[in-house]
Order: sequence, then structure tokens, then C-alpha cells
Amino acid sequence: MNITVGLTDVLLASPLIVLFLFSLIPLAIKVLRGNKEQNPAATIVIALIGLGLTAGLLLVFGGSDRTAFNNQLLFDGLTQWSALLAIVASAGGLIMMYENPSTRGKQFSELIFLALNSVLGMIILVAAVNLITVFIGLELMSLALYLMIAMSHEQKISKEAAIKYFVLGSFASAIFLYGVSFVFGSSGSVNITDFMQSAATLVKTNKLFLFGIVFVILGFCFKVSIAPFHAWAPDVYQGSPTPVTSFMATAVKAVSFAAFLRIIATQPLVGSQNLFDVMQWLAVITMTVGNVAAIMQNNLKRTLAYSSVAHSGYILVGLITAGISQNSAYSASSVLFYLFAYSIMTMGAFAIVSLIERSENSVINTDDLAGFAKNQPALAMCLTIFMLSLAGLPPTLGFFGKFYLFSAAVNEGLVWLALWGVINSVISVYYYLRPIVVMYMKDGDADVADHSLHATTVLVFVCAFIIIAIGLFSGPLFDLVEKSLG
Amino acid sequence: MLLSVVLFLPLVFAVILTVWPQKTTIRQLALGLSLIEFLASLVVLKNFDQASAALQMAEQYAWVPRFGISYFIGIDGISLMLIMLTTFLTPIIILGSWNSITDRVKGFHVALFVLQTAMMGSFLAMDAVLFYVFWELSLVPMYFIVGIWGGARRIYATIKFFIYTMAGSVLMLLAIIFLMRLTPEVTGGAVSASLLDFYKLQIPFVAGDFFTAQTLLFFAFALAFAIKVPLFPLHTWLPDAHVEAPTPGSVVLAGVMLKMGTFCYLRWVIPLFPEAAEYYAWFFVALGVIGIVYGALVAMVQPDVKKLVAYSSVSHMGYVILGIFVMNQYGVNGALYQMLNHGISTGALFLLIGMIYERTHSRMIVKYGGLASALPIFTIMFVIVTMSSIAVPLTNGFIGEFLILMGTYQYSPLAAGISVTGVILGAAYMLWMVKRVFFGPKGEIVTHAEEDKEHALHDLSVREWVVMTPLIILIFWMGIFPNHFMDYSKKSVDHLISNKHNYTLEVK
Repeated sequence: MNITVGLTDVLLASPLIVLFLFSLIPLAIKVLRGNKEQNPAATIVIALIGLGLTAGLLLVFGGSDRTAFNNQLLFDGLTQWSALLAIVASAGGLIMMYENPSTRGKQFSELIFLALNSVLGMIILVAAVNLITVFIGLELMSLALYLMIAMSHEQKISKEAAIKYFVLGSFASAIFLYGVSFVFGSSGSVNITDFMQSAATLVKTNKLFLFGIVFVILGFCFKVSIAPFHAWAPDVYQGSPTPVTSFMATAVKAVSFAAFLRIIATQPLVGSQNLFDVMQWLAVITMTVGNVAAIMQNNLKRTLAYSSVAHSGYILVGLITAGISQNSAYSASSVLFYLFAYSIMTMGAFAIVSLIERSENSVINTDDLAGFAKNQPALAMCLTIFMLSLAGLPPTLGFFGKFYLFSAAVNEGLVWLALWGVINSVISVYYYLRPIVVMYMKDGDADVADHSLHATTVLVFVCAFIIIAIGLFSGPLFDLVEKSLG
Repeated sequence: MLLSVVLFLPLVFAVILTVWPQKTTIRQLALGLSLIEFLASLVVLKNFDQASAALQMAEQYAWVPRFGISYFIGIDGISLMLIMLTTFLTPIIILGSWNSITDRVKGFHVALFVLQTAMMGSFLAMDAVLFYVFWELSLVPMYFIVGIWGGARRIYATIKFFIYTMAGSVLMLLAIIFLMRLTPEVTGGAVSASLLDFYKLQIPFVAGDFFTAQTLLFFAFALAFAIKVPLFPLHTWLPDAHVEAPTPGSVVLAGVMLKMGTFCYLRWVIPLFPEAAEYYAWFFVALGVIGIVYGALVAMVQPDVKKLVAYSSVSHMGYVILGIFVMNQYGVNGALYQMLNHGISTGALFLLIGMIYERTHSRMIVKYGGLASALPIFTIMFVIVTMSSIAVPLTNGFIGEFLILMGTYQYSPLAAGISVTGVILGAAYMLWMVKRVFFGPKGEIVTHAEEDKEHALHDLSVREWVVMTPLIILIFWMGIFPNHFMDYSKKSVDHLISNKHNYTLEVK
């Protein structure tokens, strides 16, 4: 095999390189200063500049449908948009980390280093078209994440979360790799582009290939917390420091789904009716389990964790649609649009949780929000917007996300999946309304922990603004995404 | 342009109120703004051409072109009356809640104005997605109004209201998506969410087979609206919401919000699914009749005045459904008239109950008795509104119920026969309630008030006179000169009835 690395490869990979270099800066400064933490404000500014530059380079060089490093990385519309989404979502997470009591301690530089490397893993994950490279991206993203969860100083529960996530995550990775080995053994290739056209027939004719693909899909199902592989999510989401939870629930989930989409877009579902049926049932079960379980939660983070499981179910509907659709640009962009909507509203909700937390051991229950509307009318309004948007009420972003997603499903004849989706939206209203009820209709003294936390507050307002503004004018963004995927 | 102004002025008012710095002048400001809105809607009324059944003052701008969704609004005779009802009731509601809303006054008025825009939007929208946005948006402010300013069980009531209504409307959303998928047949390739394009669709209908496109779509829409109306047996959220809602909340709910459901049968269900609507009309007629009798019987035994009026709403809305689904000119004209009547008379009843509640802090009928001697003017007003509610000739209620019953007789004498008992039952429970509250031996409340001079009962204040006078005038005006009102809607209703199988609206 003749491997050449030219200037185009470097240019295409420049976002990755720049991001990695920027991730080293805070760490290097800390080492040079004799292991003394520098001003966290400087660290966060460096990190955000790094992310900004990466996003800029992606906009310039990405989206051109060119491949780099001998067909290892593909920079198409999907890569570009999902990587940008990952950057936006992780920037939000970083801002929370800067101000949250459980993450702003002595090891802030290390945390930022890990976070940026996790983002690096995410971009590799979405850009990879070689299953081995997919695995590298997945592991780089996850390994950094395990450490980030465990790094919170005091919380025992976060250590538990990290171990749980690590063990189960490794297990899922192993299953994924096992699947990849079967795919390679049966088709002779691990490159997604190679069986782009043939996957549908391969799953029909070659049982071993089907076996491999199923295992690859299972690995992803675990990552995006599809029931019944979701059991880790509530514990891990609850145990992790809130900013890391937000990072995990938005950026990690978005890119995992984007990579999942790439696999599904090879259309194995068209070839295997059984697999298609199983995936549909998984979607239904995931929505229902997530929503019903969320109703019973008191802990706000746990509620959001189950809500995130439920949203995985909705997105899986879109994914299945994209997997059987002839015009997959439309369904794929509805998935991406929903991921965007989901990330923004979830991030906003976690940002408010982060603002309320007084110490690293804070546990925020829904009932602790009582009186929040009196003390913080603007933030309470924002949380209301996030909750209504998560519930899919118009005219928010969440509504249009669901509208596009279910329109795509109905277009492909998956009416019953859309039906389950909308029924589940109704179930979900119950628990999304609870924080609103408590905030506005019960007396209490809930307030933000520290009135000087400006960056996170700004983040909340920006999220709320995006939800309303892009919610009302979602057309141009959707067109843009669809065009670049087409 | 004019229609958009009328539609969005309340939203602008909500923003103005949010940033208004003075706490003490919120009420005055809100009242003034709502009067401006009423004047603006009078301009619409003046520019409206009664002689035409077309969609007037229409405005259409692309919104999400990829899915053929547009900002498309317009007004015809059917929606005109409901818009006028909305803008007319809002100042009255604000003035009526002057003393009853004391906590978070600003928030209340903001919610009320947002609600006004949402309700008017669902009357005016001619685009399915735009309509759905307004339809669902109207839940949120109402949810806050009941939940924050309501009574003891307000949280239970408001969540029940929200989930019930939303459960109905998500199926409608799915149906809208499905209809949009069908539109390329009639637009020549492009997806469209415009109601006018929906009207052109010929959706296959197989009589007797439930699982066919038109029947399923019909029920998806009809269910959403039936919950809102509310049609028996989906009415259980309404008594809870009414009892727990603050007075102004009850007035909006009974006065305008319930009409969103019945109006949408005329705007959406019948023109879109005429075959299914005709085929299953008996079902809705039956439910309407059951609702009339059931609501009246349950109202009769209520110990709480407000709950009694709430159940009387179920009964009255049963008449409206009846009038709509007999689908003849008497029926539909009567139904539309009855929507207005119900908005005015039930709204007035809730306002009166609110006034008496402010004075006595009780709504239990057993505690009253002999109120007429303490509050003579109030009693007169209450009796007038009661007459309107039980459809005594010369009041507005008579015209509506009479037309509906005439229409029903043409459709089925049996249904008319049963629903006439509702008129008698209605008279029975209302008059019995009036007797127990205002006449007869003096009850606990009146005796207390007579002994305790500091808490004596005061008759209507000037503000309350101002609140009630327009309503009383309208009750008689609509009862004596129904044509002054019906002339606006008659053309549109006739157009709907005679062309329901190939309904379309000309755009002007």
C-alpha cells in the first residue's frame, strides 16, 4: 500500500492540528510555571480561541467532499456540520466548566486539555470513513471523557460514574471492534465508502457481514444510549460534574449520532427486514422508556438524563428514515437539525443547573427550584423556554426539529414511528412542565449560587435566544444543511 | 397589513408591559392598550365586505419555503365574529380582574396579551403549520394563568388542561404532516401547508371502513378539536380548569378558548373531510345531544356555583356541536351565533360569580340565600344574564338555540326532541340556582353581613357597572336584532354549507 501525505491532507486536517496544539497551550504554561495553575480566565480564553479557529478552518477547508490520508477522513457536509455542532456544544460546556464549583479547581488546565482532546476525537469520529479510524476517534473522545468525569475532586459519586462509564464503554467498544472484524473478514474492507453501494446486498447474501454490521450498530446504540443499552446514562449523567454532563449529553451524543448516521446511510436496513424491524422497535422502546422513567425522577440531572434517552429515541426515528430513504439528504439533515436543536436546549437546561449549584456536592432536585421565578425572573423564563422546547411546543426550535424529523419519517411511510413519537411528546410534557410548575407556582427561595457568574448566564440567554430566533426562522438553516449534504 | 397589525398588537403590548417600569400603572396601561386593540379590530370590521364569502384582507409571505409553509392569514365571515368577540372581551376581562388579581400583576397581563394573539392567530391562520403554532402557543399562557393565579387545586387543574389539550393536538400535527405530503398532487410538485391547497385535495374515502385515509385524518383533527370544545366524554378537564382558574381565566376559557375548537370544525374539519364528516355526523350529533343532557343534569346537582356554570358550558357547547354537524343553514348559522352567545353570557356569569366571590369568599350555594335584598342591582344583572343563558326570547341565547334546534329537526326529529329537554333542564338548573342564591330565606352569608356592619355587602361599584353594561347591552342587542350580527357571517356560512364537497375560498 502506497501511502503519501501531501499538502492537501495537511490542509484538510488543519482543524485537527490546530485544535491539538491549542489543547497543549494551557498544559504547557502550567508546566513552565512550575505546576502552578494559571488564571483560569486565560485558560478558557485560549481554549475558546482554539475552538473558534478550528471552526473557522473547518468552514474554509471542510465540506468540500475531499478525503485526506488515503481515504481515512472524509470532509463532507456531514463532517462539517456535525463537527461545528460539536464545537459549539463543547464551547458551551467549557464555559460552564469555567464557572462551576466542581470543575474550576486546581486542575483546570488539565481539564481543558482533556476536553479539547475529546473534541479532537469527536471531529475524527465524524470525519472517519474507515471503521478503524472511527474506533480511534471514539476512543480518543471517550478516554478523555472518562478522566474528565473522574477529575471532580470531592464527589464520590463522580468516581462511581467514571468507573461505570469506563467499564460499560469499554465493553461497548469491544463489541464494536468485534463487529468491525467480522465486517472486514466478510467484505474485505473496513472502509465505509467501499460498501456504500453494496451494504444492502451484502447483508442479504452474507450472514457474517450482517453479524458484523449488527455489532457495529450495537456499539453505537450504547454510545447514544438507545434502550435497552441506556442503563449507564442516568447514573453517569447524575454523577458527573454538571458541565461535563452537558458536554456529554450534547457534543458527545451529537457526534456519536452523526457517525452512526454514516454507518446507517450505507443502507444495511434496506437489505435486512429483521434488522429494520428491530431498529424500529428500539426507537419505540427508547422513547417510551426514557419518558416514562423521567416522570418518576426527582433529581433534575437525572430527569434530564432520561429526557436525553427519550430524545435518542426520536433521533433514532430520523436515523432509520435516513437509512431507508432514497433521498437521504433530506432525512439526514432533519437528523442533524434535530441534533442541533436538542443540543442547544439541553445545554441551556444544564447551564441553569450549573448556575444553581453551590458546591461540588450540590444535589439539585426539581423541588429545589421553588421560588426561582421570583428571584431570577429572566433565568426562569429561559428555563421555561428550554423545557417547552424539549417538550416540542411551538414556536420553539424543538418543535421545528420534531416537525422536520417526523415529516421525514411520514414521507418514508414510517407513520407509526411518528405516531409513537408524538404520543411520547405528550407523555414528556408531564415532566417538562414540573420544573415550570415548581418555579412559578410554589413558594421557595431558589436562587443562583453566585451572582457573579456572568459567562454561564450569558450562555443561557444565548441558548434561549437561539431557540426562539432560529425556531421562528428555521428555514434558511435547514436549507443550508440539506444543500451541503445533498 | 391591517390584519397582521390586529393580530400582533397584543404581542407588542405584552413586550411593552414587560419593560414598563412603573408597577402601579400596569392595570391602567393594559386596559388602555386593550382598548386600542379593540378599536383596531373595529377598523377590520368596518373594512369587511359582508356581501362576499371570500377570504378578505389576506396576507401571505413565505416562511419555510422548503416545506411550503407560509405566513398566511385572512379573515372571512366566520372568523370575523370570533375575532371581534376576542378583542371585545379582553378589556372587559382586564377591568373585571381589577381587584381579583393582586399578585404578579404585570405577569398576568403579559400572559393575557400573549394569549390574545395566540387565540386570534388560530382564528386567522390559513396555513396549517402557522395554525398549529398558534393553537399550541395558546396553551402556555393559559397554563400560567390557571397555575399561578388559580385556586387551591390549580396545579392539578392546569396540568390536566395542558396534557389533555396537547394529547389531542399532536395527532392533528401528524395529520397535518400527512396532508402536506399529499399536496404535490394539487400544487404540481411542491409541498404546501396552505389551507387553500388542502381544500383542493381529494382524499379517498371508503364508507364504513375506518382505516382509510380520510376517516383517520378526520378523526385525528376532530379529536383535537373535540377535546378543546369540550365534547362529551372528553370534557373532564373543563370543570377542573374552570373551578380552579381565576375569574379572568374562566372568562377567557369559556368566552374564547372553547370556541377555538368549534370554529376549527367549520374551518378545517368539514371543508377538508366532507365525506367523512357527513358519514360520521350522527356520531357527533349523538355526542352533542348526550353532552347537552348530561351537562345539564350534572350542573343541576353542583353545590358550587362556578362548577355549575362550568357544566352548563358543556351543555351549551353540545348545542354548538349539534348545530355544526347537522350541516344545514339553520344549524351552522345557529351554531356560530351560539358561540358568540355562549362567550358573552357565560363570560358574564363568570364575571358576576367573581364579583360575588370577591365579596363573600365563597361559591357554595348552600351558604347563600336571600342575596336579592342585600344586592338588588347585582341580582337584576344576574337574572338578565341567566335569562340569556337559558335562552329566553329577546335575549341572544334564544336566537342561537332556536336556529340550532330548527336545523336539528331537519336532520333528525329524534335528536331535536331529546335536545329540547336540554332547554328545559337548562332553565331548571339555572333558575333553581338563582332561587337558592338570591331569593328564599336568608342564608349564612347574608345574615352575617347584616350583623357585621364592617363587612356589609356592597352593591355594584362603578367599575363593575362599566364591566357589565356592555355585556347586558349586547345580550339584548343580539337578541332583538340578530341580523346586525348575522349579516357578517351569513354569506360565509352559506358558502360553506352549499359547497362543502368542493370548498374553496377566493382570496381578496
